[in-house]
Amino acid sequence: MMKRRSSTYDLLRDHGVDRRTFLKFCTTITAAMGLESTMVPAVVAAMENKPRIPVIWLHGLECTCCSESFIRSSHPIAQDIVLNMISLDYDDTLQAAAGEQVEEIRKRIMKEHKGGYLLAVEGNAPTKDGGVYCTVNGESFLDILKETAADAKAVIAWGSCASHGCVQNAKPNPTGAQPVKKVITGKPIINVPGCPPIAEVMTGVLTYILTFDQLPELDRVGRPKMFYGQRIHDKCYRRPFFDAGQFVESWDDEGARKGWCLYKMGCRGPSTYNSCSTFKWNNGVSFPIGSGHPCIGCSEENFWDNGPFYQRLSAIPVPGIESTPDQVGKTLTVLTGIGVGAHLVSHVARSAAKSYSKESAPPAGGEEERK
Amino acid sequence: MANSAYRPLETGCNYGRKYVWELPVRVSHWVNAVSVTMLFATGLYISDPILAPNGEPYQHFVMGRARQMHFLFGYLLLFSFLLRVYWFYAGNNYARSGFPRVWKACWWKDVRGQGLQYLRLERGHVHLGHNAIAGLTYTIFVIFLGWFQILSGLALYSESNPGGFWDKMVGWLIPLFGGSFTLRMWHHTAAWGFVVFVIPHLYIVLYDDRQYKNGLISSMLAGFKFYERNDLDHDRWIS
Repeated sequence: MMKRRSSTYDLLRDHGVDRRTFLKFCTTITAAMGLESTMVPAVVAAMENKPRIPVIWLHGLECTCCSESFIRSSHPIAQDIVLNMISLDYDDTLQAAAGEQVEEIRKRIMKEHKGGYLLAVEGNAPTKDGGVYCTVNGESFLDILKETAADAKAVIAWGSCASHGCVQNAKPNPTGAQPVKKVITGKPIINVPGCPPIAEVMTGVLTYILTFDQLPELDRVGRPKMFYGQRIHDKCYRRPFFDAGQFVESWDDEGARKGWCLYKMGCRGPSTYNSCSTFKWNNGVSFPIGSGHPCIGCSEENFWDNGPFYQRLSAIPVPGIESTPDQVGKTLTVLTGIGVGAHLVSHVARSAAKSYSKESAPPAGGEEERK
Repeated sequence: MANSAYRPLETGCNYGRKYVWELPVRVSHWVNAVSVTMLFATGLYISDPILAPNGEPYQHFVMGRARQMHFLFGYLLLFSFLLRVYWFYAGNNYARSGFPRVWKACWWKDVRGQGLQYLRLERGHVHLGHNAIAGLTYTIFVIFLGWFQILSGLALYSESNPGGFWDKMVGWLIPLFGGSFTLRMWHHTAAWGFVVFVIPHLYIVLYDDRQYKNGLISSMLAGFKFYERNDLDHDRWIS
């Protein structure tokens, strides 16, 4: 790789990026982080002066969609800037080196930048049977992860796999796959969930760390608040249709053509925190709801188990009950009604029998009046 | 029970009238009744919005209004519950008569006695406070269920303002139940508990009112119940 302690700007200049483009990038990323325009100089200064942060990027049990998203960061000269902004010293998918060389690089960074490098983890670690379900170079990913995290400054968990477990961790989870937060303790962990996360969000998190030398403010689930602070629903351009009560009922109905709200098609927008409805995807072209598909809530915990995707309510997760809450509720209501009705009928019948036999009833006993 | 404490009976009269349900108890009851009804109706609409207004969205606010009402009555229910919790301590003994006293033999005796009375279609005793079965039912279907609905509802409500007041107060319920999706499902399921409760509640109130003819229903408006010799007084039964 490149000379490691040079700044981002140095490297960009080496790559032929002009100052104007560089400033535009800094402005974009400042806005993306939700900072005021007065903060642009701070970002520029950081990019110009601070040595790039060495990053080790590990791949565990995953599909590489996070990397795919990352290298498509939407800025005009994305590849150059994004990949050079940080010092991506080790990434077994992207780097040119292979085999033992690769492992050497990892070991060297761990030694040279002890306590100073960032560990980015994509995918997660299967923990069952000693972690044999994911091995790199004969070592289990579980061990590699623990070893590399031990001397890291902080751990970034890229994507839902590393943050929450995602598909591998869904029931019944045969390999015992666990998210990073369950494997690594005692290190600050930033969760950047999404399947995959938005490229600008990934870039934004790294830029923030580079600019301010500290980790961004996190929410309850360990996600950076600046990107996961609002629900998709609250920034959704279809929200007016939701409030009006205009919903798509099937994929090809009039509402679907008119772009009505996808809530009834199972949209998870109301319970999903992400930036999709603000940043959108692929250079801000669109996002799932924009193309007529409900949000599946991929940046939320257990999203894979909270199925089916096209329903707002799941069946009740109690063994033996395969019904939705409404089916259960209606059944119980009918049963209660039958019970009450039976009592009423017995009461009326008994009162009728009593009055027929002309027995004198106790003071307030059975009258013949019925409802 | 010792009837001698009743002045009318001491003076040789067979009937008496007693102020049982104080104003906060009655207010709380009716606010609950209205709120739960409205919450259930609007909740059903929110979970499955069946109305489909035509035209442009600026012309309508159906879902918005339904949610607004849901939140409004949710707050009303919360305040009603807080008032009732306060009155549990501040009110007369009848305000506490529903508490299931599972450690007392006389409470279990009343569960049995009241149960048999309903099953045998007998008149039995008038209770001035709650009978043991009623108290047990209210504890489960009003207090536990009600608080669960209030707290889970506020947790779901807090999702629109992460880090806000309600998020700090009850936001922890969301991860506890495995996420917002699961919590919503339980919130929805539990709502049916109110329906399951209201059916026998209405029936038994009408039934007992006809059986006892002691002003049971009107006591929920005016607060007074009538009694006669040998009626059970939970005023002393529970204290």
